[in-house]
Amino acid sequence: MNDIHLIQEIERYLAGEMSTLEAAAFESKRRTNPEVDQQVVEHQLLVKQLEAFGNRKNLLGKLNAIHEKTDLHDLRAEFAPKTAKIRYMNRRTITAIAAAACVALVTSLSTIAIMQKAAKKSTTAQYESVRRELNNVRASTNEIIEKITPKKGAPLNPGNYGGTCFAINRYGYMLTNRHVIGGADSIYIQNNKGEVFKAISVFEDISSDLAVIRIADSSFRSAALPYSLKPQSVRLGEEVFTMGFPRDEVVYGKGYISAQTGFNGDTITYQVSIPVLPGNSGAPLLDNRGQVVGIIAGRQRASDGIAFAVKSANLKRLLDEMPKESISKKGKKDIKSNTASLEGLNREDQLKKLEDYVYMVKVYKATK
Amino acid sequence: MSNNQHIERDQELLEGLANNDDKSLETIYSDNFPMIYRMVLQNNGSEADAKDLFQESVIILYEKVQEGGFVLTSKLKTYIYAVCRRIWLKKLQGQAWQGSITEELEAITPVEDTIEEAEKRDEQYGIMEKAMSHMGEPCKTILEDYYIHKRSMQEISEKFGYTNSENAKNQKYKCLMRLKKLFFAQYK
Repeated sequence: MNDIHLIQEIERYLAGEMSTLEAAAFESKRRTNPEVDQQVVEHQLLVKQLEAFGNRKNLLGKLNAIHEKTDLHDLRAEFAPKTAKIRYMNRRTITAIAAAACVALVTSLSTIAIMQKAAKKSTTAQYESVRRELNNVRASTNEIIEKITPKKGAPLNPGNYGGTCFAINRYGYMLTNRHVIGGADSIYIQNNKGEVFKAISVFEDISSDLAVIRIADSSFRSAALPYSLKPQSVRLGEEVFTMGFPRDEVVYGKGYISAQTGFNGDTITYQVSIPVLPGNSGAPLLDNRGQVVGIIAGRQRASDGIAFAVKSANLKRLLDEMPKESISKKGKKDIKSNTASLEGLNREDQLKKLEDYVYMVKVYKATK
Repeated sequence: MSNNQHIERDQELLEGLANNDDKSLETIYSDNFPMIYRMVLQNNGSEADAKDLFQESVIILYEKVQEGGFVLTSKLKTYIYAVCRRIWLKKLQGQAWQGSITEELEAITPVEDTIEEAEKRDEQYGIMEKAMSHMGEPCKTILEDYYIHKRSMQEISEKFGYTNSENAKNQKYKCLMRLKKLFFAQYK
């Protein structure tokens, strides 16, 4: 009851409904009694809050009413097509990206195709037979030919190729690459001393790219071979050396077996890391013991020091297959079952001995 | 429209707002809502967000002008935009919204104080709302009628069927005391 009376007084005081006397009494009461003062402040605050609450509620109601009334259609429409536009733009972007991707795809695919084609071309081209075109010796040898076959339809414009061959027996049988002597009109071989012999092809095998030639003079005899054939395959990394005629002088090269297969996985050949040049074709590849393990046949054009050598097993097979008319049993036996070897010699002595059995091959072909 | 005309028009609208003039409120609404709508929808918000945000800004403006002494330092449109932008940015940050905020939104605005004030008021509003919700009938309506709608005690006693206004008055005081208790229990 007391509280209600106080609130009543406060309201009347705040509303200014009190007489001056009453107001003065209330004010003095407020000053002397802090509780009364607090009640006044609290009441003011509460009413103010209540009013604010009511006003806000009222305003919110009005705003909601306005919002209800407001036609948002245009505004929504403004956003709807805008989002649609964005989507459209996106679609356009996607189309553009797709187009670009297509172009990129086509470009890359065609590039790959072209590259592969080119690579195919170049891989075939990369393999290079190391026979030599003997342009520099053409003039002088032409004279020789002319002397040998005077005015008898000798090739007027002979193409000249060179390679290497080595003896497989003491009767003048030599082994070389088929690509060196293939299609030759005449073959001459020349040793390191400068002695030249006419040779004829005895047997050619395209699949292994090997050929056996024989010195035309059947009375030719050399000293016994200092090396033999090693029919087993050599191991990876085994050190090998070769002697050949990339120039008019015999050239020694040293390397190692770098792969058990040759160009593009060809099982007939080894890959050999050894320096070879055109003219090395047909040169023997020997291991440290001086046994023939292969015949240099080609190289990879793009990279230095990658050569390919036909495995000696092919040579053995070739000899086995050769008909009796071409080579005698004795002739076959020489290299296959030779007991002599270069083993134990130092490299210089090995080469010194080997030198006499390695010949330069010169081939004369009529160009049509 | 020249700058002066702008100022004049804005001032009229504010006065109207302070005096609860519906026409002014409608004008403010139609002038500014589309702008806020666009801003919100371009910044990861929905139509409902836009509505709430805009109403919040109008309430802030309303309470400021009610308080008196509010001086508009920019165009009304700019002010509303700045307030909305600030609140929206806060909301986005509160949601830990990951994404790019329109550069414009990130600009520092001079409405920081206004927002802080508004937050305080929002809190008080919340307390009052809660206190009022705890009030039963007829207390709630009596208090609303007397203090908010400023109806006379005569009207109220007639409405609620009190035999005389003195009884109604007593009832009102009782109600007010209850509200006071509820309100100050929350209000520090």
